[in-house]
Amino acid sequence: MAANKRIMKELGDINSQPPAGCTINLPNESDINNWEVTMQGPPESVYADGHFKIHVSLPKDYPFKPPGISFKTKIYHPNVSNDDRGAMCLGMLRPDEWKPPNKIKDVLALVRTVLAAPQPDDAVETGIAEQFKNDKAAFENNARDWVERYAKGA
Amino acid sequence: MSDSNSTGHSSLSPPPPGSRRSPSPGGTSVSTQIALRNMRRLEARRNMEENHYLTQKARNCNLNPPVDLRALDYVSKYDDNLVCPICRCPLVDPVLLMDCDHCFCRECIRQTWTTYSPLGPKGDCPTCRMPAKLGPRASTSKILVNILDDLVVKCPKSENGCKSEIKRGEVQDHITIYCGYAMVECKDSGCGQSVRRKDYDLGCLHYNVSCESCQQNMPKAELETHWQLQCPDRQVKCDLCSSLIYYRDREEHRKEACPAVNVPCPGAPLGCTNKSRRAHLDIHVKGCVLAKLGPVLDAQKQRMDEQESAHKLINRKLEILETGFTAMQDILSANRSGPPDNGSTETLIVPSRSRAESTATDSTRIASADDYDFPVPPSNRGSAIEPESPPTTNTTRSSTTPRTTATPRSLTSPPLRPAPQAPFPRPTDLPPPTTTDFDLASPFSTTAPGADGPYSSPLHHLLSMHESLRDEMARVSAALTELDGRHSMQILNENLRTRDEIAYLGGQVAGMGRQVHWLTSAQLQRQTPGGSAAAREVGTGASAGGGGAGGSVEGAVNAMSTAATALRGAARVVNVGGGQGSPTSPGMRRGVSEEGRTKL
Repeated sequence: MAANKRIMKELGDINSQPPAGCTINLPNESDINNWEVTMQGPPESVYADGHFKIHVSLPKDYPFKPPGISFKTKIYHPNVSNDDRGAMCLGMLRPDEWKPPNKIKDVLALVRTVLAAPQPDDAVETGIAEQFKNDKAAFENNARDWVERYAKGA
Repeated sequence: MSDSNSTGHSSLSPPPPGSRRSPSPGGTSVSTQIALRNMRRLEARRNMEENHYLTQKARNCNLNPPVDLRALDYVSKYDDNLVCPICRCPLVDPVLLMDCDHCFCRECIRQTWTTYSPLGPKGDCPTCRMPAKLGPRASTSKILVNILDDLVVKCPKSENGCKSEIKRGEVQDHITIYCGYAMVECKDSGCGQSVRRKDYDLGCLHYNVSCESCQQNMPKAELETHWQLQCPDRQVKCDLCSSLIYYRDREEHRKEACPAVNVPCPGAPLGCTNKSRRAHLDIHVKGCVLAKLGPVLDAQKQRMDEQESAHKLINRKLEILETGFTAMQDILSANRSGPPDNGSTETLIVPSRSRAESTATDSTRIASADDYDFPVPPSNRGSAIEPESPPTTNTTRSSTTPRTTATPRSLTSPPLRPAPQAPFPRPTDLPPPTTTDFDLASPFSTTAPGADGPYSSPLHHLLSMHESLRDEMARVSAALTELDGRHSMQILNENLRTRDEIAYLGGQVAGMGRQVHWLTSAQLQRQTPGGSAAAREVGTGASAGGGGAGGSVEGAVNAMSTAATALRGAARVVNVGGGQGSPTSPGMRRGVSEEGRTKL
């Protein structure tokens, strides 16, 4: 109950003041534990023109367990796994790092920051991370290409 | 419960050996036993508190479950600082963590910390990650609790119809004692079911009836709720206007639509006291002047507000302009009493360096006197505009570079030049301007020869000139500081090198001194048979019997002393240049010369 209440609160909060470049909706109105966020790529990054669908799943005991973030839109990024899950690796979301006072809003803001500034040292896709470190131009080309291919649909 | 009982027991009577925590073989010291007992006592107290909390929570939950303070609708606005960071609700039973002083609901922190230690819950603070724990009586100050309890909330039964708004601290009492929509046991003791408190006196309502509209069966007690929330068909007559309405829309109808309800005239805010039935309101409005005036007045009010804000803005602008104007006048009058060469220059393009310097000094004065960044009204010379002046609109900006030829100079001088003639001339008073004067007026001559225009453009011109002069000054001073820095660096470098050389020379002199010493001692030894006489000979300058050897020694010593003086001179020079001579070299020098002297 308390969890629901808090999720409702956060949902209301986020709808009244949505964080920059994000729109939130519930794919299933009766299920407030699964959010779908459409995030615009941060301006002045290689993802600037893309619209990325992100699935946020809130566990039953939400503020005490971290939410899960997964990209539904394919994205060429060292910190997002390049598979069906599109899992994103964020330090903040690790179970031992998670703090109940963190809000979804903060998480989304962090996701956007990581989009703008990839962290190759903390990568899921090591290949992309290597490329990001050694051959930035090629990385940017690839990323733009992927944005063009996958993230323009929305 | 049972756990606490057993431990409570064990603290009183000697515990059974199996329950001991530490496997203490027979001869444990008394102190550990005491420590153990204290531990157990603390544990027991902790458990008692926990149990008290749990029983309180479980109390009275048969009929009305305890109010979940987090699920309440808050009527009063609450400060963000009163919100628990975990559940995002106003704190419920706040506790303060030991060591870091962060505050959470007891329930929230209990859920966050899954591990228990014997001395109570323990873990990392969810906000700052510091290891923290709940103290034995973890609670916060009464003030905070009172503030939280004073928050006004809606009754949790508001969905069922209770309209009361109560302080949060009294919600539980409201539910258990007063609220008409809370459940109580049925009056009929045999029934065993519950009924709303307000229906208590109606007797047992637990017989089935069927809704007359939708034919559903339900106990009588639930009929009203059913009508209110669910029944799709139930219609009643409005007791005021006698029209048929849905039961669930009753309240809304009365508030919004019912034609029989008395409503105030729309002109009420303007002073109309008339109230009439909603149905007859139109008739009144037709005759009511105030109601008709309403929209007009509203629009006017809005316009007035707009005008007022615009007026404020303009006033502010005017104020700034006025201060700028007075400051400008000050500058101009100051110029009149300034150095005579300002006014004496007739030609504006002055090639000589000195002229440029004089304008430069003047401009600094202007810049310092002129501290605002706002357009300053020009002296009235704006009206003295010559149409034939070249439209060099960009020259004002070009004067920023300090060493660009005559153009900037010709631009910097004009504001100073005419000042002595007419400090505050009216446009008519102005002496007929010379063409050269119109380098100044040129940028705006094209824009506004009209009635009011000229004032703003010369003003901007002057202002931009001031700006550029100030820029120039800043650049010059920056260049000066840079030069100064470079110079001192150079001196320092040079000084270092010289000091090194001196040290080297000093070392060499010392070496020579040692050689001389060795030579003299060798000579002395050779003359030992001569004894003291030979020594005297050497002491008096080896004039008598020393022969060639003595002479050579003397020459060496002389050379030494001259070298020493030369060195000293050099050192003095360096000391003067560098300000601080190396502390070692004079000492060494003295040592050398003294050595030489003693040898003599």
